[in-house]
Parts: sequence; C-alpha cells; structure tokens
Amino acid sequence: MNAPFTGKHGESAFARLCDELRPDLFRFAFWLARDRQVAEDVVQESLLRAWRSRESLTEIGAAKPWLLTIVRREHARLYERKRFETVPVDDLVGSESPELAAAEDQQVLDLRRAIIELEDDYREPLVLQVLMGLSTDEIATQLGLTQAAVLTRLFRARQKLRKRLVVGANDEGD
Amino acid sequence: MDCLEFRRLAGADPQHPDAAVLEHAAGCPRCAGYLRRTLELDRRILAALSVPVSPQDAGRVAAPAAPIPGLDRRRWYALAASIVAGVLVGSLLWLGGPRNSLAQDVLAHMDHEPEAFVVTAVPADPAVLGRVLERGGIRLRPEVGTVSYANSCRFRGRTVPHLVVQTDGGPVTVMVLRNERPDTAVAFAEHGFSGTIVPAGPGSIAVVGAADADLARITERVLAAVDWSQE
Repeated sequence: MNAPFTGKHGESAFARLCDELRPDLFRFAFWLARDRQVAEDVVQESLLRAWRSRESLTEIGAAKPWLLTIVRREHARLYERKRFETVPVDDLVGSESPELAAAEDQQVLDLRRAIIELEDDYREPLVLQVLMGLSTDEIATQLGLTQAAVLTRLFRARQKLRKRLVVGANDEGD
Repeated sequence: MDCLEFRRLAGADPQHPDAAVLEHAAGCPRCAGYLRRTLELDRRILAALSVPVSPQDAGRVAAPAAPIPGLDRRRWYALAASIVAGVLVGSLLWLGGPRNSLAQDVLAHMDHEPEAFVVTAVPADPAVLGRVLERGGIRLRPEVGTVSYANSCRFRGRTVPHLVVQTDGGPVTVMVLRNERPDTAVAFAEHGFSGTIVPAGPGSIAVVGAADADLARITERVLAAVDWSQE
C-alpha cells in the first residue's frame, strides 16, 4: 500500500496508531525535555503536525520512527521559540517533576536522577534504544550519526550510569 | 573477538548480541557475567525510563477533521482529549482496584530481586532450595525444570517461596502464595512482563515471565510440579 493513511479509513487507522503510540511518544518527549508540561505540549503539537502530514507516510512500519522524528523536531522548535531558563537538576528531580520524586523505589529514583544528569548526547540514544526499542541503525538515522558513533554513545551512557550507581551505593554505605 | 571488543559491543547493545558476541560469552565466564549484568542494568534503566503516563497523556487521539467555529485546532484537540481522558479515567477506576493489587505487589516485589532476570544454566544451591521449600510448606517435583534462584521472601507480611525457573522463553519468576487466594485466575501484563496468578492448593501461585513467554504452558508445568502436601 502506498498511502495507508488516506481517506476516511486511513484517518481512523492513523488515529488508532497515534492512540497506541502516544504513551511512548510522551515518555520520549519527557526524556528530551525532562519536564512533564513541556512534554505534553510537544506531543500535542507533534500529533497535530503528524495528522496534517499523515498522507506522506507510506509505510505503517515506518510510523514510529517518523513520529519520533516529529517529536524531536517539535521539541527543538519549542526550545528555539522559548528560551527556557536553565533549571538545576536537583530542582528538576525534586519539585519541577513530582513524578520523578515519586518513583516506586529508591533504586528507580536513583537511576532516574542519573539518567536526567546524563548529557543529551548520551541520554537520547539510550532512550531511543531501551525505551523506544529502536535498533542502533535506526538510532543512527534518527540522530544523523554513524552506527559506530551510536554504539560508542550507548556504551558510554551505560558506563556513566554504572559508575554513578556504584558511587551512589558507596555514598549510602558511608 | 577479545574481551575488550566483547564489552564494547555488549555494553552498547546487550539486547541484540550477534553470533560472535554469543560465541565469546560461551567461552568466557567473566564476559558472560558482564553481559548478564548489562542486561540487568538495562532492565533497571527501562523501569526508570518508564515514567508514569497520566490518563490524559495516554488519551485517545481524536481526528481534528472539522474545525469547530470559535476554537482553533489545538483547543479542539485538547477538548477532545479531555473528554476522552474523562472516559478513560472512569474505565481505569473500574479496571483497577483490588483485582490488580496482588499482581502489582508481585511485580513490585520482583523489582527488588534482580536475580529474577538472569538467564543461567546454573541451578540454585540444593540446600538453599530445600530450606526455601520447607519454609514454604511445599515440595517441588523435578519436572519443573532448572530452579536457578530460591529465596524466602517477605511478601504482604508473610514469608513466601520466591523461585526462578529457567525456561526456553527465559527466566520465569514463581511465587508460592499460600495466604493469597484470588477467586479466579488473574492475568496481567506490565513493564514488558506478563504474568498470571492462579488459585492453587490453599492459596495461589504467581508466575511472571517476559511478555512473549509461553506463560500458559509454563504455568501448567509449575502447577503440576508444586506439591502442597507437606502442610
């Protein structure tokens, strides 16, 4: 099929697809912005843009990476439009994003803190891989990097998290 | 492939090890351990990344086909989403509640036992397994398969056997809940896991595995293997 999302049938198929993917898109936007309110705005705008361009999507299988690209661009666009103030990470974890502070257990909270503190270059490929289930090849396309660069970033991201968790555990033991 | 190269690859993409990585792991116990730890780290990363999604964020996407006079598309969209969110909240209240709380507790408990996610052919210490089963007042027939982990865990104020059985579909957590008796079998799926809690003996047995595990077959095997007669 060349244009699976055209016509009335295509409209409802696209709405269903967005419905399924929306929680994932929200989480992705959240980890880009590290702010629930911004993530909500980004996803809402992204889905509107996607809706308007749905007929350009020719393969159902390509929908998720396509939507992720729109979310990334919308997030970048939002940051271009509004110059957000820099928020200290502690504020972000503690008060700006209560859902982070209300993690189910301490281990999850520690890891969320560590992921928040990762540089964007490391956090984003990790989120795309672990949360979104993209292959390293797809991540490379998404981020405009070589696959080797993606592998390096993913390796370093995990290394940094490991180190951070070990340090955290030692601090607790002190 | 040397150990350094192995770690670079397994540390970057542990979920999809290629043939060379697997071959190296098979012959190098330290690197196999590294891969297991990285997979465990990934499981924890996934749990950390899976921030809660509010009903509004999980809401249905309404097609903004016809603009409503007086409302721009964005407002129309927000309005539609809020209506659907309201319906969804109502549904969640009905679907949630006590029916799922036991399942939630089982999943929450698993978070504290990383051994539950380790793929291994190494069986648990028979003496430890024996003590766990004895404390739980059960026996376990060998047909259940390789039990790689056994612990007596505190769960809802009781001490219960927490076992991990290795299956073709990966490690499966089994919790024998003598004091929890659901009226009917409960099935659940969350955070990449699927599970079931089945009435058995005087209580129930919880079986939790990967989302794609053949849970029905595994549960049947576990039910047949647990002998409550030690009571």
